[in-house]
Amino acid sequence: MIEQRFKCPNCEQIASFYGNPGEHLVVTCSACHLKGRLTIPHAEQNNGHAIEVSHLKKIYGDLIAVNDISFSVKNGEVFAFLGPNGAGKTTTVEMIESIRQPTAGSIQLLGKDIKTHFNDVKEKIGILPQEFHSFERLTVRETLVYFSNLFKKKADVDQIIQSLDLTSHKNMLYRNLSGGLKQRVGVAISLVNDPEIIFLDEPTTGLDPKARREVWGVIAGLRKKGKTVFLTTHYMEEAEFLADHIAVIFKGKIIAEGTLEDLIRNYGKSSVMHIKKCVNAPEVIEMLKQEGYDEVSSEGNGDIAIKIDYKERVLDILSHLKHDCIEYESLDIRRSNLEEVFLRLTGSKLTEDAA
Amino acid sequence: MNLKIIWMDFVYSIKGWYRSKGGMFWSLAFPVILILLFGAIFSGIGSSKYTLYVQDKDQTEMSRMFNATLNGTKLFTINVVKADVNASAFIKEKNIKSLIVIPDGFEQTIQESFTNPSARVDLQFYFDPSEQTTTQVIRSVISSILQEMNKNLSHAKTIIGVQEISTITENFNFIDFFLPGMIGFTIMQGAIYGSIERNTKYRKDGILRKLLTTPITRTEWILAKMLFMMFLAALTTALITIIGILVFGMTVNISAWVIIIIIATSFLFSGMGMLIGRFVKEEETADTAAGAISFPMMFLAGTFFPLEQMPGFLQTIAHVLPLYYVNEALRNSMIYLNQNESLLNGVVVIIFAGVFFISGVLLTKWKED
Ligand SMILES: Nc1ncnc2c1ncn2[C@@H]1O[C@H](COP(=O)(O)OP(=O)(O)OP(=O)(O)O)[C@@H](O)[C@H]1O
Ligand SMILES: [Mg+2]
Repeated sequence: MIEQRFKCPNCEQIASFYGNPGEHLVVTCSACHLKGRLTIPHAEQNNGHAIEVSHLKKIYGDLIAVNDISFSVKNGEVFAFLGPNGAGKTTTVEMIESIRQPTAGSIQLLGKDIKTHFNDVKEKIGILPQEFHSFERLTVRETLVYFSNLFKKKADVDQIIQSLDLTSHKNMLYRNLSGGLKQRVGVAISLVNDPEIIFLDEPTTGLDPKARREVWGVIAGLRKKGKTVFLTTHYMEEAEFLADHIAVIFKGKIIAEGTLEDLIRNYGKSSVMHIKKCVNAPEVIEMLKQEGYDEVSSEGNGDIAIKIDYKERVLDILSHLKHDCIEYESLDIRRSNLEEVFLRLTGSKLTEDAA
Repeated sequence: MNLKIIWMDFVYSIKGWYRSKGGMFWSLAFPVILILLFGAIFSGIGSSKYTLYVQDKDQTEMSRMFNATLNGTKLFTINVVKADVNASAFIKEKNIKSLIVIPDGFEQTIQESFTNPSARVDLQFYFDPSEQTTTQVIRSVISSILQEMNKNLSHAKTIIGVQEISTITENFNFIDFFLPGMIGFTIMQGAIYGSIERNTKYRKDGILRKLLTTPITRTEWILAKMLFMMFLAALTTALITIIGILVFGMTVNISAWVIIIIIATSFLFSGMGMLIGRFVKEEETADTAAGAISFPMMFLAGTFFPLEQMPGFLQTIAHVLPLYYVNEALRNSMIYLNQNESLLNGVVVIIFAGVFFISGVLLTKWKED
């Protein structure tokens, strides 16, 4: 039961109502007897933050694996922790999951300090450890029932199987599943207690692009259901595709944080327009430069690249091209991506194998 | 503590085990094969040298004559035992297979027999039933000597007889010795490798980490696993015992005490497995380490062959090996019905179990660094 304080829109009387998160109530104002509907919000004790981490630090010998990081994850968002191998993702996530002991700093899950109250939140979180491999000789369904039985709160196992598209594999032994299916089962396991926060540590590493897309679909589905997802990854596209909020971690530090738009706006180049196979390209370049476009360059073959600062300029360029009856084969505008952001921030590429 | 969780984990452990060919093989098929194999190989083999100890307590003309006759057969290497030595203690201490005692009053009784028809004296023949062939040879030689002597003395009556005293309690052979050893060994293997799998593979696979974030407690987890180990131990014991009874016609005593020893054995070697898994983190390496510890232990602890047949320094080593006490405790209780001896060894097993299991649990790293 959660207390929800509410101000009557009619008489401004403040009253408390009690209910479960998401529950709809019909309430009556005790002063003016106005009737109204009220929904108990999911955002409970924690001012809208499912996870709050402050000044978290982890030292191994003389290596500072996690170096004084702070961030918070809002209820219901997919938060991606993006960083290369060894950046400190797993160390951070496992400290939040109370599997590792922080050297310093504090962590709150659903408003509770995990140092003292982790047992209280166990029922409300679901985790998928990195490179998780479940019991070899249990079937998919048995595996889910097993983990489900560990919790008081139980989601319907068959419904999870169905929603993760595992129905045709539910009687297969875990050991006989493909890598992608194993990861999907891993995600399914993390859902057996219908958790509020789901931690997925590199859920798609090592999967082929098709299997990766399948797992992405599952995660997108969780987001739709309003779950908070904490995701670690070293794939740009994964963060771009799934995350509401991205924190880039590098050598134990968060070096950039925000929505995808924020990151690109703050750290990326602006968009670039490419004109392919332009007839008399040199003249066009000259013309655009006179029009005040500074970064216009020839890419050979009659191709031209123009940096676009404001989206209005796209129209401007197009009207110039039309006005001068310039012929070209094709035209596209590419937005700067996370790869570029990362390159700019760290001077190195995120991954060699980014698929 | 949530008993439902413990029971559930136990049931799923059995499911997984039942589906694993390896698990089934090592806990069921392997011991059965070994029992059948060793039972067949060793059933007919005995010692080829017949060493006989003789203690002459009488020290008379008559007893010396008997000795001379025995010597005259040239079948034995005869060793003389001093008259004032306690025969049973001597047998135990020196590990003597066959000993004949000519009792005090041997000659006198024979002389009496001329006037007293009921006079009779028995030689005592101490023998080790596991040395079947030797015993058989000695028995028949003595009986023919005595037959001759009796005939000469009285024509028909038996004046000199033989009292046979088994140095153990019954007529035992190799399989009697081997069966309890096989039970101890199989339980040891199952417990060590089971523990290692949980502490290395489950750690690497993230299962332990996953469990840390669920409501199952460490106690529930350990109890569930021990329940499973005891299930395996019970199954192994039952199967091996049944084979012993049906195939080899053995008499096996299964008592509450035997069950206690078996439970203690499960705890003992689960603890040992935890310790191995604690210090050797890779599963394969840990398995190798387990093999390096358990196989020599199997031989040195007198699982297959009696310790007495080994050189002295190996016998000394045996006395620090937990499996030795398991073997002795099981053997004495299940087969030799020597409950005092079993109790003594069993208590050592229980102490070992406590030490290994508790240190295993305490030293195991449940959380990550
Ligand atoms: N138990 C440990 N003891 C010593 N050093 C450790 C330990 N765990 C992690 N590290 C070090 O801390 C750093 C961060 O590791 P972490 O596993 O958190 O990285 P990650 O971002 O999860 O990388 P990956 O993408 O490879 O999973 C690495 O340099 C790693 O070697
Ligand atoms: Mg990691």
